[in-house]
Amino acid sequence: MARRTALLLLSLPLLVASLAGQRVEVEEFTLDNGMKFLLLPREGDPNVAAGWISKFGSVNERPGVTGVAHLFEHMMFKGTRTIGSKDIDRDLAIIEELDALRAEIESERAGLLEKQRRGLIDDPDDPANRSPEHNALLERFEKLIEEQHELLVKDEFSQIYTTNGGSGMNAGTSNDYTIYFINMPSNKLELWFWMESDRLADPVFREFYAERDVVREERRLRTDSTPTGKLDEQFESMFWQSSPYGWPVIGWPSDLNAITRAEAMEFFDLYYAPNNLVASLVGDFDLEEVKTLARRYFGRLERGAREPGAVRTREVEQQAEQRLIGNAETRPQASVRFHTVPDAHVDEPALIVLSALLNGRTGRLYKSLVLEQKVAVQAFAGVDGRKYDGSFILGGVAAPGSTPEKVETALLAEIDLLAREPVGERELQKVKNQQLAGDFRKLESKFGLMLQLLTYEALGDWANINAFSDRIQAVTPEDVQRVAKRYFTETNRTVALYYTKDGTGPPGRMPPGRPRPPQGGPQ
Amino acid sequence: MRRRTWFQVAVGGALVTVARAQEALPKHPRDLVFAKLAYDPPDPADYRHELDSGAVAYLVEDHQLPLVTVSMTLRAGSYQIPAESAGLASFTGSQMRSGGTTTRSAREFDEDAAFLATQLSSSIGSTSGGASVNCLAQNLDASLSMFFDMLKNPGFDAERLEISRAQTLQGLARRNDRLDRILSREFSRLMRGMHFTTVQSTQASIQSVTREALQGFHAERFDPSRMFFSVSGDFDTADMLRRLNEALAEGWPAETVEPGEIPAPTHQPEPGVYMVDKTSRDVNQSHVAIGHLGIQRSHPDAFKVRIMNSVLGGGGFTSRIMVRVRSDEGLAYSAYSQFQPGTYYPGLFRAGFQSRNATCAQAAAIVIEEIDRIRNGKVTSQELDTAKNYQVEIFPRFFATAGQVAGTFTNDEFTEREKDYWKHYRERVSDVSAEDVLEAAQQHLHPDRLVVLAVGDKEAMLAGNADRPEFSFESLAGSTGIRSIPLPDPLTMEYPDA
Repeated sequence: MARRTALLLLSLPLLVASLAGQRVEVEEFTLDNGMKFLLLPREGDPNVAAGWISKFGSVNERPGVTGVAHLFEHMMFKGTRTIGSKDIDRDLAIIEELDALRAEIESERAGLLEKQRRGLIDDPDDPANRSPEHNALLERFEKLIEEQHELLVKDEFSQIYTTNGGSGMNAGTSNDYTIYFINMPSNKLELWFWMESDRLADPVFREFYAERDVVREERRLRTDSTPTGKLDEQFESMFWQSSPYGWPVIGWPSDLNAITRAEAMEFFDLYYAPNNLVASLVGDFDLEEVKTLARRYFGRLERGAREPGAVRTREVEQQAEQRLIGNAETRPQASVRFHTVPDAHVDEPALIVLSALLNGRTGRLYKSLVLEQKVAVQAFAGVDGRKYDGSFILGGVAAPGSTPEKVETALLAEIDLLAREPVGERELQKVKNQQLAGDFRKLESKFGLMLQLLTYEALGDWANINAFSDRIQAVTPEDVQRVAKRYFTETNRTVALYYTKDGTGPPGRMPPGRPRPPQGGPQ
Repeated sequence: MRRRTWFQVAVGGALVTVARAQEALPKHPRDLVFAKLAYDPPDPADYRHELDSGAVAYLVEDHQLPLVTVSMTLRAGSYQIPAESAGLASFTGSQMRSGGTTTRSAREFDEDAAFLATQLSSSIGSTSGGASVNCLAQNLDASLSMFFDMLKNPGFDAERLEISRAQTLQGLARRNDRLDRILSREFSRLMRGMHFTTVQSTQASIQSVTREALQGFHAERFDPSRMFFSVSGDFDTADMLRRLNEALAEGWPAETVEPGEIPAPTHQPEPGVYMVDKTSRDVNQSHVAIGHLGIQRSHPDAFKVRIMNSVLGGGGFTSRIMVRVRSDEGLAYSAYSQFQPGTYYPGLFRAGFQSRNATCAQAAAIVIEEIDRIRNGKVTSQELDTAKNYQVEIFPRFFATAGQVAGTFTNDEFTEREKDYWKHYRERVSDVSAEDVLEAAQQHLHPDRLVVLAVGDKEAMLAGNADRPEFSFESLAGSTGIRSIPLPDPLTMEYPDA
């Protein structure tokens, strides 16, 4: 035992001493058109992790086109004037015709939607409700799609990357940004420059309406068909009262049924101008060669006519606690969420330390809720710092015999304790040690590093990847106490309690003496 | 000493673009000229070491970051457990990490690991078990000491076991909640029948697991002569070998037993259309799997089958099933086929998708049509080239990190993969012809043996799509009709009569 103690004591100064060695040194490089590059050559396998990001996401949408940022991301794989068609002129003509037909179909559909609003029909998409004119339009639409299909070089964009060994090609959309990424063999890096600059210079949104259906299936898969998907979505949208963070990234179903190609193009024109884009390469490449390629390929993109500017609508200050009580085919559980601060705010490091004190096998939540009180089988805390606003989340799954209310009470007691009593030095040092080791671990994957550089830059500044670590190390017990007092107040709180839906399992019934929550929810 | 690096690369000449910065851009990617990339895979012999206990270790140094990872794999799995004790193997695996050791309480163990920022884990699956540690190089002494303490002297703390049991039981109760989980479970049962891979833990089996049983399973299986180590990161090979030999020398369970053969399944699946009605939520999407038995990894056609499946549905956005079901028709977000060869016995062929209830039959018909099509005509040269080039081009990615090199070679030896597998990998891919693909499709895809399983809103799936009445599950099922599989009681896994 004596030996072990000595080692542990020794490890503390050693950890601190190694602080200096792990800074990420990125070569920053900006084209005349405003597109920025974050370049980090790394030795290793003959591969480059390559990606770029648009600093805009669903937060930049408006009601009526929610989901357009994500739908647009899908369209970016559909090709360009050069890629994806055997006869680009006829292809473009068909796209125009399809849009015109679609507009006519939409006005037919508008009539059905109005009937639905009046309760005259249930389902505006039921073929039985369509007029003969409506059906004729659909038929012409299908015919044109068939004609276009003959002209397509199907999924040529993906095919070119695949046949050249590009792997892991994909993209993702978040509230704040949209990111496109791939791994390229290092001898074929020029292909990445060709393909990415081509689709930014000259995208063609062919197969728009089929892809809109794909996204509707994606929504069903991610949200509708999971046990708590729709409830989670409602919790999110009730938490944000005025902020555009309240609508889901994938979009509301009504909007997904109706977004037009023109609206997607509008989004592109404003938010995908090169001055809104940042690219990053991490891996086996030569800096000077890559700069030449960047100028040559991305240099042709034209700076946007106007700067998009910041999102105007901010979250209003919450005036009263909000609660969501739902039933689902899931374990009984509680979530508690507070409005806090945006990413990179001066209070964020203390909130992150606070969440780390609560999390993990040695965290306060596991020790208290799981081991001691046995009210929960698992519990967690987390910081969600977004570009314009942020939140702190606590959650726990009730143990057999316990209830979501008991979990909620126990979660709140833990953050109350953090507000009342300063955290001990050793407990705080544990969290900081983990951060230091994490600084190395996050460098292990070139691909992961590329993604981090881009997302840090999209939210503010890539250099925060380094500054972040220093800020965590500087957090004091007083800081933790101060942020706990400031943000964890009753009127700043939104709570979700999920009960196990009747007839789908044994545990987690509503406690006696309370009104039963509505079944099934307001879908 | 000689520092080995695992990456050996030579690009033949700098990228040719530098000089022509001002020239017009190539009109199409096919006009790009790429330098040749010469790449030789690492040789396992360079990293392989036999330890004094008889164990084998692959050690791959990488000094870019001050981190070390040590992983151990051994033959311990649920296949060694009778059905009435289902859950014992995975409990033993998880509780080795969670339950402390005989010298450190569970809480002390966790606190020490957390303060050192050392990540320790352990688990036991169906045919293998293992543990791993990842730490800062400067904490290697303390971290390895904890790692081997966990492997030799697990404490199996009674309180932690009860917490884990409660959580597991709660999880059992919820196993009819998700369509994807029901689909995987029932597809596996249809394919494998009674087999260790389809044994489900029950309330009774989970409750029967005792601390003594965990100790017993550990004592039988953790034999230092049968372990396989994979070590990567910032260490010195000679020093690491000394540490491993020292740790393996003593303090291990005395009465270990032979691991025993892994039993191959004997079940012959019954072809046809099956449905699980799951309508407790109002969801307009159902999940479908379509497939039959496959081949073993050592099969001589393995590479042909891989390329064939890549064209059919395994090649992501460019494969036929994806293009038709998703890209052409917009019927699904995910549509795929897998032809994963089995390591120890034949694996499965499985295609699938999720789609609106009304369009599931249409999407299923398209998948079956594509299975027929690839058996009845050669793939195009572009399809063949895309699938083959991809496999050849991504080859260096299999050895991208020191951890992958060590892990791949360790796993190869543990599973007795043929020698020189990687050395000839690219040739074997390149040798596959369009005729081979057609032959592989005819030999290994069996439209007459397909099992079609749909999980979701049965009534709505059967009703189909009013706009496309030509597609229906009835017509897919033919004269045998559609068979229903009821949902089992989640705690006993007893199935009511259909």
